[in-house]
Amino acid sequence: MAIADAGSSSQRAFRPRRLRLDLTTPTLLGLPLAWLGVFFLVPIAIVAAYSFDVYSLDPGPHGFTLTAWHDFLHSSVYLALFWKSVKLSLTVSAIIVVLAYPLAYYLALSGTKRKYILLLLLIAPFLTSYLLRVLAWKVILGNQGVVNTFLFWTGLRSPDHPLSQLLYSRFAVMLVLGYIWLPFVALPIFVSLESLDRRLLEAASDLGASRLQAFRRVTLPLSLPGVVAAFLFVFIPTLGEFVTPSLVGGTSGYLYGNQIVDLFGTGFPDWETGSVLAIFLLGVVAVLTVVFARFLQPRQVVAD
Amino acid sequence: MDVALSKNGARLLRLFFIVVVAFLYAPIVILLIFSFNKSAVPTFPLSGFTLHWYRAFLANSEIRGALETSAIIAALSSAGAVVLGVLASIALTRHRFRIKPAVSALLLSPLVIPYVVFGISLLLLFHTLGVPRSLLTVVIGHIVISLPYTILVLVPRLDQIDVSLEEAAFDLGASRLRTFRSITLPLILPAVVSAFLIAFTTSFDEYAVASFVVGTRVTFPIYLYSALRFPSQLPQVIAVAVVVLVLSLAVVVAAEVGRRFVERRFVALESSG
Repeated sequence: MAIADAGSSSQRAFRPRRLRLDLTTPTLLGLPLAWLGVFFLVPIAIVAAYSFDVYSLDPGPHGFTLTAWHDFLHSSVYLALFWKSVKLSLTVSAIIVVLAYPLAYYLALSGTKRKYILLLLLIAPFLTSYLLRVLAWKVILGNQGVVNTFLFWTGLRSPDHPLSQLLYSRFAVMLVLGYIWLPFVALPIFVSLESLDRRLLEAASDLGASRLQAFRRVTLPLSLPGVVAAFLFVFIPTLGEFVTPSLVGGTSGYLYGNQIVDLFGTGFPDWETGSVLAIFLLGVVAVLTVVFARFLQPRQVVAD
Repeated sequence: MDVALSKNGARLLRLFFIVVVAFLYAPIVILLIFSFNKSAVPTFPLSGFTLHWYRAFLANSEIRGALETSAIIAALSSAGAVVLGVLASIALTRHRFRIKPAVSALLLSPLVIPYVVFGISLLLLFHTLGVPRSLLTVVIGHIVISLPYTILVLVPRLDQIDVSLEEAAFDLGASRLRTFRSITLPLILPAVVSAFLIAFTTSFDEYAVASFVVGTRVTFPIYLYSALRFPSQLPQVIAVAVVVLVLSLAVVVAAEVGRRFVERRFVALESSG
């Protein structure tokens, strides 16, 4: 990469003694921002244009129209599917945040010496293959899967009546999504509990608070930002999820994300409606991200 | 008296922690067990020990080809993401400019975009440009996805190192590039390596975006997905799953332990002067 600011030495001598040790800002940011512009922002703009029929790959006349948006907002099918996804994601997020809190609490506040090793033990499954963990559950939950054949084998259930609702159900989608995201959710809660000043708890105790009172009035409120962050870290990605539902969801686990994929699929493609669904989902996620930005901000990145 | 937890509370939480960790690892252990099971379907009771499925997947050219394709894509895209990530992270930590909050928000925004939306967006872009889908189109998408992860790893490390070291080199007449090469880069190298590994594993495992822009050479996740829907080769897939899971666990743990170790030494060196 060329150094754009390799000015003459006299210029350098007069440069204010401000910390600008590396290449200039435009040189450094040019490539990353151009990359995101061309391969991230422009593609999204194309989808948005598609949803208003300003642009289309189909031949024929085109012009700005809100038809697809109007149809979407008045269709019971797509909106019902969206609410189904919202409810499922909310439920999964809430359950695993509640499960993860005591885990993070144990690691951060029990005074265990090996807390970072234990944390790594907890997080490690999250860092392995997503699809392979879904595969594991498929092997476990199927009609001829590990759970059912174990029940047949031990005689707890007859082979004619397997627990068939284990796989290809809403339950399966929730179980697998919860399983996948649980380790990750513990992390932001752990960080907020870890940074908690223990002297506050000691002060509460000196002032006569019981452990429960200290928890309710000190620990919990102070760890709330971590809890909110944890919640959003699961809710946002699971809202548009389509891989897990298509593998373990069957028809009752069919979600909004699957609908988008199918509208762009080979069956009955309708790219215009698909674009509307996609942009709507993106809008919801964007609003959530902006509203809760202060909980999501990775601390140092924006610090000047 | 411990103010945060009673003795019994701590015991209870430890028990809960053990139960959850068991729940997290049980599916992986079950895969491990069935990968050595003789029967062609993963069912109880176990039917005896065999290495047949491991040999079968090693001989399966479809699986090997998919693994190879994913490795190439992961290597290219993580190299690209790390280069872009280093450039952006230096600007974010060493430079002052007015629109920094907007720039860092944009750089991190691929973290929150639903992958299904990003996937179809790329698909429409390549359609519009008339670019045929191939290995390269997947690489392009994976660079976008991995870039924010590399920044999240690199920025804290760049914040940690003492800028007076760079200042000194600059004062002694080193060019900006020279300063970067001989001072900054060696100091952030552990973070660069772990950024690379995170980007690599992200790409290697990525299905959602790849499924929209993949060409005729399928990646490993795409192969897995189709194998999951039509489970005729299930035992082989389980065997390869175990190998990949164990390898990725090992890489993740090694990367984390290695980074901590190296950075602790750096900190010690820096503070001892």
